[in-house]
Amino acid sequence: MFALSSRQVNAALDDLGAGLRSWRLSQFLAWQDIKQRYRRSTLGPIWLTLSFGIQMLTMGILSSFLFSSPIEKSMPYVCAGMLLWFLITQIINDGAALFITTSRYITQIKCPLTVFLMQVLWRNVFVAAHNVTIYLIVAASLVIIPGPSILLWPFGVALVIICLAWMALVTAVVSARYRDVPVMIQNVLNILFWFTPLIYFPEQLGSKRFLADYNPFAHMIALIREPLLGATPTLNDWLIVLAMSLIGWTGTFLFFARFRARIAYWL
Amino acid sequence: MLSIIANDIHVEFPIYDHRMRSLKYTFGLGQLAKGFNRFAPRSLNVGGQIGVGEAGRVVIKALDGVTFEMHEGDRVGLLGHNGSGKTTLLRAIAGIYEPVRGSIHARGRVVPLFDLQLGMDLDATGIENIWMRGKLLGLSTQQIQASLDDVADFTELGEYLEMPIRTYSMGMMLRLAFAISTAITPEILVLDEMIGAGDAAFIARADLRLKDFLARTGILVIASHSIPMLRQWCNKGMLLERGKLIAYGALDEIIGRHEKLVGQ
Repeated sequence: MFALSSRQVNAALDDLGAGLRSWRLSQFLAWQDIKQRYRRSTLGPIWLTLSFGIQMLTMGILSSFLFSSPIEKSMPYVCAGMLLWFLITQIINDGAALFITTSRYITQIKCPLTVFLMQVLWRNVFVAAHNVTIYLIVAASLVIIPGPSILLWPFGVALVIICLAWMALVTAVVSARYRDVPVMIQNVLNILFWFTPLIYFPEQLGSKRFLADYNPFAHMIALIREPLLGATPTLNDWLIVLAMSLIGWTGTFLFFARFRARIAYWL
Repeated sequence: MLSIIANDIHVEFPIYDHRMRSLKYTFGLGQLAKGFNRFAPRSLNVGGQIGVGEAGRVVIKALDGVTFEMHEGDRVGLLGHNGSGKTTLLRAIAGIYEPVRGSIHARGRVVPLFDLQLGMDLDATGIENIWMRGKLLGLSTQQIQASLDDVADFTELGEYLEMPIRTYSMGMMLRLAFAISTAITPEILVLDEMIGAGDAAFIARADLRLKDFLARTGILVIASHSIPMLRQWCNKGMLLERGKLIAYGALDEIIGRHEKLVGQ
């Protein structure tokens, strides 16, 4: 079942390398996706920003009211957290649909499969870049000054995206074979939303604080959210996300190497 | 030197229907696969052989031990019944299906052109679609930029190139797709049926462009049922039957064998 030849490993390495080298192609495809979604609408991709803004306004106020925290504290917190939560869940959900939606391309042209993974990453980074505007407005109006930890922020973002990349790839491969998986993943993520400190603060969990501490997504979010809010992510956050990336990518790579050639057959 | 060398390649498709593709099948319902073989004797010539692969799964043997060599200058026409493995072989050459056993190596960049309109977006303009197709065909930004005039010239679409292609007639759309796809210089070109640009008034110019395009191509492999078309463009033939290579050689000889087979 899991015999791996050096030929398979090399082919998978080639695929990853070629996929990374053709970043222009994946970026182009991702931008086409966004353009296509908003074609013939007057506002175009600005809708992304607008709908995120409206959601954040509602959720920020509701969270401040439900969990009795001051609005100037809950609004930026919810906004930064949800920005990341949407990024995380959308990358994983898009990952699950990855090879199914691109099956026409995969069975008609020879293209590294990694290109389509990169397309998903680019697309969601573009969306997040639109949503960031809302956070910047909130932060500017409340005069939130990021602390010195903001210097490490780009590394945190890069690390989280690297980590999400393997999650998307592994779900993509499994979903190509088993079509129940995309729906399962969606359900799991929906439940995880409630167990992740996004609209409430981890301290508010009280004795159930471990729910946040053992939730890998909570650490990914903290890594990016805390510097924005002027706080500092803990060393723990860094180590956990770093370990997840390393272990996750090792496993995913071996898995991808084993099944890469089979994906076209499953579509 | 460009070449394609295939050594005893096997391509088998596992068959999953909606039930088999789900998880519950994997957990214990595998026995359903048995008994499929009873249909086998009835389909004599059409389709690959149906068999039971590893883990008791139903598989279609689309290519069953195919061995050949192709070299620069070869223009190979693939012949055979529906489902004899022509399209699968084209995809194996393109590297889309990696064989389960055996090996296939192409020296040179293989360009499969199966669906000329792949990636085209009806709501995007002609120009935007040229970019999309160009990128998918592996052209660089400079190459696409350079081919824009050529494509505009050939298609005679004029200001329509700035319009969304949903406003095009079918003929105009085909013209555009054809023009972009033939703007490349493929080392190894793989075609499933001959490509063309539709409407009659246009055919002479399209033929000229096609001739030039195919002349630039190092190795051509094309599957088709049209004997006159194969006689026009090919110098070699390959006959497939139920996933096996029956004959490979001079075109006339292969066409003769194909006719005998069809005549049966």
